[in-house]
Amino acid sequence: MSMSTGKLTKIVLIVLGSAGLYLLATHQHGQREAIRQAAVALTPDCAEKLGRYRLARSERYQSPYALQRTGASIAVRGYSEEDVRAIQRGCNIIDDTQGSLAKDPGRERWNATRFIRGTHSSCDHCHQGIGDKQDAGGNRMKGSLNLGASWVMADMYDRFTGLLLPFELRQMQCYINSSNGYKPNIADDVISDVTAYSRFLSAALELKIGNHYEEQGIDEIPASATPKQGDDYVRGEAIYKKKCANCHGPQAFGLETNGRLVAPALAGPNAWNTQSRNYFYYVSTILPGFICRNMPLGQENTLSNQECRDIAFYISNLPRPAGDRNGPMVALQQQILMTVLPPLMRLTKPAGGSEEPAEPVLERDQSRP
Amino acid sequence: MTLPQAVAFSVTLAGVPPHFGIYAAIWGVLFCALLNPSRVFHGGPNTAMSAAIGVTLLPVAPPFGAEYMGYALTLGLMAGLIQLQFFLIRPLGRMLDLISEPVINGMICGIGLFLIFRSLTTFGGLPLNTEVEWPLWIAWHSFLAVLEIGNIHAIKVGLITLVTCVVAQQFDRLRNWAILVGITAGTLYSQYLNAGRGLQSTLIEQIGNLSSIGLISPSLPLFNQEAMPDVISIVPGAVTLALLGLFQTVAAMRRMSRKAESYTDSRKAIFSDAVSNCLLPFLSSLPTCASFNRMWLVHKLGIHSRITIASSALWLLLLVLFLADAIAVIPMPAMAAVIMLLGANMINWEDIKPHLKDRREAVVFMGSFLSVLFLDLFGAVVFGSVLAFAYSKWEQAHPSISLSGNVLKVRGNIYYGSLPVIESMYHIAIERAGRVILDFSECYYIDQEGIRWLAAAKAGQKVAFADRRRSQVRRALERRKTGDDKRASGKRRGKRDRRQRSEF
Repeated sequence: MSMSTGKLTKIVLIVLGSAGLYLLATHQHGQREAIRQAAVALTPDCAEKLGRYRLARSERYQSPYALQRTGASIAVRGYSEEDVRAIQRGCNIIDDTQGSLAKDPGRERWNATRFIRGTHSSCDHCHQGIGDKQDAGGNRMKGSLNLGASWVMADMYDRFTGLLLPFELRQMQCYINSSNGYKPNIADDVISDVTAYSRFLSAALELKIGNHYEEQGIDEIPASATPKQGDDYVRGEAIYKKKCANCHGPQAFGLETNGRLVAPALAGPNAWNTQSRNYFYYVSTILPGFICRNMPLGQENTLSNQECRDIAFYISNLPRPAGDRNGPMVALQQQILMTVLPPLMRLTKPAGGSEEPAEPVLERDQSRP
Repeated sequence: MTLPQAVAFSVTLAGVPPHFGIYAAIWGVLFCALLNPSRVFHGGPNTAMSAAIGVTLLPVAPPFGAEYMGYALTLGLMAGLIQLQFFLIRPLGRMLDLISEPVINGMICGIGLFLIFRSLTTFGGLPLNTEVEWPLWIAWHSFLAVLEIGNIHAIKVGLITLVTCVVAQQFDRLRNWAILVGITAGTLYSQYLNAGRGLQSTLIEQIGNLSSIGLISPSLPLFNQEAMPDVISIVPGAVTLALLGLFQTVAAMRRMSRKAESYTDSRKAIFSDAVSNCLLPFLSSLPTCASFNRMWLVHKLGIHSRITIASSALWLLLLVLFLADAIAVIPMPAMAAVIMLLGANMINWEDIKPHLKDRREAVVFMGSFLSVLFLDLFGAVVFGSVLAFAYSKWEQAHPSISLSGNVLKVRGNIYYGSLPVIESMYHIAIERAGRVILDFSECYYIDQEGIRWLAAAKAGQKVAFADRRRSQVRRALERRKTGDDKRASGKRRGKRDRRQRSEF
């Protein structure tokens, strides 16, 4: 078996390449492990919430929330140091997904930005109150996408695809649709930490596995729940300008002041895509339900069902990114719309009209008791 | 040799249990040997087709489940029925010959690259995301995930398999056994790790129990009322599967004929593929198609008998019955490493190089290659087909025209597509020379519009026609034309032949 220099070179190259890949993988694994073992710098809101729920390393855990509200609480299995850090990191990811409050966003948020297109998306925009929205009286709010309540309903059948979707896969849907991004691997810490936090919330709120709670998911609003006037773009635009444009901007492209995000985009490149269930033309009941139960901040449940459907209809007609499964032609069409429409709308704006929205009225504190 | 590939295709790419691939390597080969008169034609499971099954079915049902397997069989049957149309409708089958080599090679290279990316997660021992997106950019995330969170034991097993395969390929005596040697090395290392640390610690996924495998495993495709919406949704996948199989079969037959200096009608291969794929879903098998590499190997081994090929399939069946326990412990990362290697082998520089020498061919090759990476498989197949037709039309529509003095020489076709090109040169020649001699000695097809244009040009009295073919050739062509016309008029009873040939 004679061997030429070329073949020998090939063998040496493949051996070196494989060894290099193995060493790189070992190094990356080591870095991940170091982050897992490191102390977590909490965001202010997470520090407040987790402090209130008394998250700490212990053999048993008793929910102070349940104790305060009912006078009794069941002691459940406690958390190890590792569990506590995972829950803290999960809370950080929900509150500040893109790491604007972190010193090293890549390390502290498990490179979450890698899975998100655009700069606005954060889990907290939909899962308000860091996934645990409560009113001033500490009551969990209906249709507020509570993560604890979602976790106890883990492994749900998806009613659109009929597939059994574990909690982790549902998070992946958020990444590809609501964040218009990519799926992290199901074994990624960015997924498992959020699962750990959601599971802790269910313990902190003393929610029972398999039970359906009102705060879980969206309180959907079908057309049958309206006076059946039909969903109207013009009405929707008028209500949007009155109730929403102050925060989300005149073209719903979101609002940033001094480099800080005030309100996320509802349209344009930073918004959810056309594959998302928030997209009215895909599912017409979810976005109206979200608007009615969660918007405007501090004035939740003040809009009528018809108004919510009108706003959702109007928003969904604004240009937004196409989902990856919509194909390249739809992506191109949406990209052109997103590029061409905003300047056209500015041009056709009536003279004397102000481009800048009025001072945003945010009553965020009320959503976080 | 087919055995490890068959197992790898089914579990890593198609998402079905290993016996699907094994039965395709047995029954697929047997049916093709019986149905195709070619002595070197070799069917069996195929990488691209297995990948197409996985990509089509992942959004529909969870892999390895009963429903998923039912849909896989339905998909195979639908593909077989579609392929049968290509045999029954002769012009449809003839269309496959119009798919040019740069298109097919571009697709094969693209699919090869896709296979490498597609196997990354299994290589790193990571769970496969459902609804796997096709686009290229997902691969980068998978690579980073393998580095950051992959199972380090799985990575080691995969790398050992890969290195062993590549090293074995460098030795002439081991080349044909390289995959088997690699898998054996990977399996032995994985067994060593499991013995030392325990499977619960290493977490290296294995192929699993094959005890259900038997001589024959009857099955039924899923066609009940509940499944209908999903069945309808996978129809584009079935078209993709059918076309991918036929493209490869026709291309393999063409290359094989050229290399072996013999000729076998590709229609026979279409027939054997189609009928086999209609039967295989009832035998728990993946669909089959020809593979040039396997056929070339059969040819090189000096096997020139269909009985030998058929008996090899039966030997494989006996082998599998005895080796079921050994196959069950093969680690999945080793299978992924094999797929990556096969993917890399599909990107052959010797095949690519000739296409890059000609600009037009290079554009078609790159278009076909990139369409696989940036569109889904269905989109790529459609794009590839359109590209192939556009390429052949473009070629026809651009005859070689040279102007020397006042002689305008046309080499190619004079038809509605090429007329604008010819006319523009004709008018330039008229402007320069005033009177032109149009030489179509090397013109081999003129359609009705071409004849009308020539008549109009002649009427303008600025052109003379020249045909410098030898009178012998002209007379022969005239005779052939007269014969053709008589036959045509006899058959069509006076109907005008729309594609009337004019020889001058």
